[in-house]
Amino acid sequence: MAEYAPVDLTVENQVEFELDGRRVAAPAGTMLADACYAHGVEIPIFCYEPRIGPPIGACRMCLVEVEGMRGLQTACSTPVAPDMVVRTTTDAVKEAQDGVLEVLLANHPLDCPVCDKGGECPLQDRTFKFGPGTSRYVEPKRHQPKPLNLSHRIALDRERCISCFRCVRFSQEVAQDGELTMQERGARSEITTFSGDPYRGRFSGNIIDVCPVGALTSIPYRFVSRPWDVQNTPSVCGLCPVGCNTELTVREGRTKRVTGRPEPNPAVEEGWLCDTGRWAYDASWSQARITAAVVREATGDRTATLEDAVDGAAALLRGRTAGILVGTAATVEEAGIAADLAGGALPGAVVARMGIPGGALAPLRALPGAQLGDVDDADLVVVAGGDPSAQQPVAELRLRKARRFGATVTGCGPRPHALEALGTFIRTAPGDLAAGVASLAEAIAAATRPVVMWDEADLAGEPAAAEALAAAIAANPAARQLELGAEVNGSGLRALGLPDAGAVLDAVRAGTVDALLLVHADPLDAPGRAAWDAALEGFAGPVIAIASHADATTERADLVLPALTMWEQEGTLVSMNGRVQRLRPGARGPEGAAAGWELLVALAHRLGVVPGYRTAAAAFRAVTAGRPAFAGITPEAAGVLGVPLAAPAQVAGASAPPPASGEGVPLVATRTVYGGAAARRSAALADTAAPAELRMAPDTAAAHWVNDGDRVVLRSSSGESGRLTVRVGDGLPEGVVFAPLGAPGSPTEGVLPADMAPVLVRVARVEAG
Amino acid sequence: MDADRIRAHLDPIRHEFADPRSLVMPALKFAQTEKGHLTREDMAAVAEATGYSPSFIESVASFYDRLYTRPVGNRVVSVCVTLSCMLRGADEVWDALCEHEGVDHHHGGTSADGRITIQEAQCLGYCDKGACIQVDAEETKGPYTPEEAVKLVEELREAPTPAELWR
Ligand code: SF4
Ligand code: SF4
Ligand code: FES
Ligand code: FES
Repeated sequence: MAEYAPVDLTVENQVEFELDGRRVAAPAGTMLADACYAHGVEIPIFCYEPRIGPPIGACRMCLVEVEGMRGLQTACSTPVAPDMVVRTTTDAVKEAQDGVLEVLLANHPLDCPVCDKGGECPLQDRTFKFGPGTSRYVEPKRHQPKPLNLSHRIALDRERCISCFRCVRFSQEVAQDGELTMQERGARSEITTFSGDPYRGRFSGNIIDVCPVGALTSIPYRFVSRPWDVQNTPSVCGLCPVGCNTELTVREGRTKRVTGRPEPNPAVEEGWLCDTGRWAYDASWSQARITAAVVREATGDRTATLEDAVDGAAALLRGRTAGILVGTAATVEEAGIAADLAGGALPGAVVARMGIPGGALAPLRALPGAQLGDVDDADLVVVAGGDPSAQQPVAELRLRKARRFGATVTGCGPRPHALEALGTFIRTAPGDLAAGVASLAEAIAAATRPVVMWDEADLAGEPAAAEALAAAIAANPAARQLELGAEVNGSGLRALGLPDAGAVLDAVRAGTVDALLLVHADPLDAPGRAAWDAALEGFAGPVIAIASHADATTERADLVLPALTMWEQEGTLVSMNGRVQRLRPGARGPEGAAAGWELLVALAHRLGVVPGYRTAAAAFRAVTAGRPAFAGITPEAAGVLGVPLAAPAQVAGASAPPPASGEGVPLVATRTVYGGAAARRSAALADTAAPAELRMAPDTAAAHWVNDGDRVVLRSSSGESGRLTVRVGDGLPEGVVFAPLGAPGSPTEGVLPADMAPVLVRVARVEAG
Repeated sequence: MDADRIRAHLDPIRHEFADPRSLVMPALKFAQTEKGHLTREDMAAVAEATGYSPSFIESVASFYDRLYTRPVGNRVVSVCVTLSCMLRGADEVWDALCEHEGVDHHHGGTSADGRITIQEAQCLGYCDKGACIQVDAEETKGPYTPEEAVKLVEELREAPTPAELWR
């Protein structure tokens, strides 16, 4: 169980001690509670949560007898010592456990029958197992408003709180958002935020997972189900390239909840999820969800059965040369089957992946890589470019943890961000990341175990910086690199050897393809969209889209095949750190939809080439066979916790972007996971949706004749943006403007080239604020 | 009170505190001298001046009896209700004051005119002078009879409110 720290019983020089008459051993420094658990003895705990930090001994639930020590000891904060004699079942221990539980329950409402936690509640379980069975307490209990909204997503039921401090410590020490505290004291103690404001945080939902009672519950999950009515499935979050391991709670075919795993993945998320990953699942049944196939005809749109639609798609594609575009969130199976169509069912097809070409990144990717878990032991963590707190949320928690453990944090980049407060950060001019990298080289060389996090999008756009960074890392043999990726399954698509979307774009322009098949790909919502807009303008062939949600591309497709989402289908994703992890289907998805890989298999059938696989696992084996990056990787090897790719994914068609051209002010674009596209599809996250704003410092605004609140469009050599609202803010560097990627209508994407090369933009006011 | 004033107050005493967290207490006490209690804005200013989160500052303020997160009277009268004072008639003093100010005999409270707050205190360290009373953060005095205590609050009611409300 996650609540105890994992103990490695195989290391050398363990400390031997006696546990309930048995001679056992554990590594020095292990806390008794963890050592006992590793040897099959459960010591009840409440406040102890090793992932949050060192023990605080607040609840006294874990008392045990240690020979020679006066009084009972708290097992959560007593490390094992040689020849220690520990007893966990004596009368004194029993009496202490009864006493502690009686006090904890003195003010507890015992409303288990109407409590969401009932059935999966540590307080309930431990009371049954270790508690007194009856209470002598007959006085009236404390009453509190039931429940209180701590935020739009978290309900707080103060009557149930046992003041264990786990939630407070998560907020203060793990997320470091400073929001939650315990106010008042004694029997009046209560969990709250500043003046009862809503809890604002990017990781707030984790407090629900760590609360050992039903005091903190998820509002979207409130009264939705009981633990014995659901199935829990270990899966992976497919909303950003971190690839957090999740658990899906499914009832009646629908995903009802996403939580951190009870057995977390120490190499990735350590059980923590960002709020987007936790609550975006209701996007499965959002307005934009495509629930039936759409056939667009001269007489208008009509819906079709899946059978008919696949037939229709095959008819449209038959005899044509297709361009196939695979989106960045498509699974390895979907991308691999799509790639294989070129050799069989759709001969001559050009298959490519969306996303950043990244030719300049090969030297960085070839260096020894680290997993997120390795950041814990680093003495120096470097963040080159990017903004992990916005773009790779859970990576932020690792960085904060490394800092807590004493690592030095440093970095450079063009945008101000939340993690700069952790150390020394150098603000670089847009397009001059290389200068920042140069100033970090010395620190990297001097460190003993440095981990260098680098931002895929920023470094892809600046080949000189990528080269310099690779050299700096290579100079220290102990240094490891950790990619902060931009795309959910970018690593997987590269590992399959797919070239970048330019291949299909060129073919469309040259007229060498006369049909387009889009697999979870939306080139009209992505950087480089201006080029696609122009290319598709004159494209006469049919466009077929396999997609789960409506986007700009499905709007103009001739045929749309409804696909399942990441909460509903089987498949494999490769995280930004090259970790191959499996999606497991939780919910069933809409009647009229099917998994993307199944749609592709069906299409191949209709086109007369029967693929040799029928299951996702078999498809994985078939499409990864002969691809060196996947050597030795099978669905079994990926198991529940995933496995890193054997070899770094090579980039096909390496090409480095040119430096910024045109005129105007440099634009720095940031992807938003929190409040981004997923938030707009999810009712639970609606209030977090980030607005389409162009942020700049006061003098910059003055220089461009715009004021706070003005509506503007941007123009670059790549194209024109949608409308953005100007926000003038202090604390931003002058001479640069900032805009989000993934805002409603994808306004910023219009001025960016697909290769993420730095751009200069002209700001034109279209409406005064 | 704004953060700059709090910073100016802290600067000369900063060196006295090894742990910067300890500065939160003098900062809160000083911020309170303006209105006699701490508003949301005051606590936000203390947070800004000390570098801790507003929520943390509020948790400290809510922990201590002499830091007020709700408005109290112009003068706060603390009546010791611990053993030594009780043996010397503290509960009669308490009852007389509550009666006179028209506040709840169980919890104390603030008089209707907003001038006086009566509150309980635990041992003030003047057991030899029980029953004793402390006005705001002034020196504790005693012994008081109920009549003398009532006279004290009457005088306080008439006296001008101090410029800085140290409590
Ligand atoms: S709300 Fe839950 S996690 Fe927080 S202190 Fe109370 S019992 Fe512990
Ligand atoms: S950090 Fe990324 S992978 Fe992890 S929960 Fe959030 S969106 Fe999902
Ligand atoms: S678990 Fe040991 S004191 Fe709470
Ligand atoms: S008991 Fe009142 S001052 Fe000590």
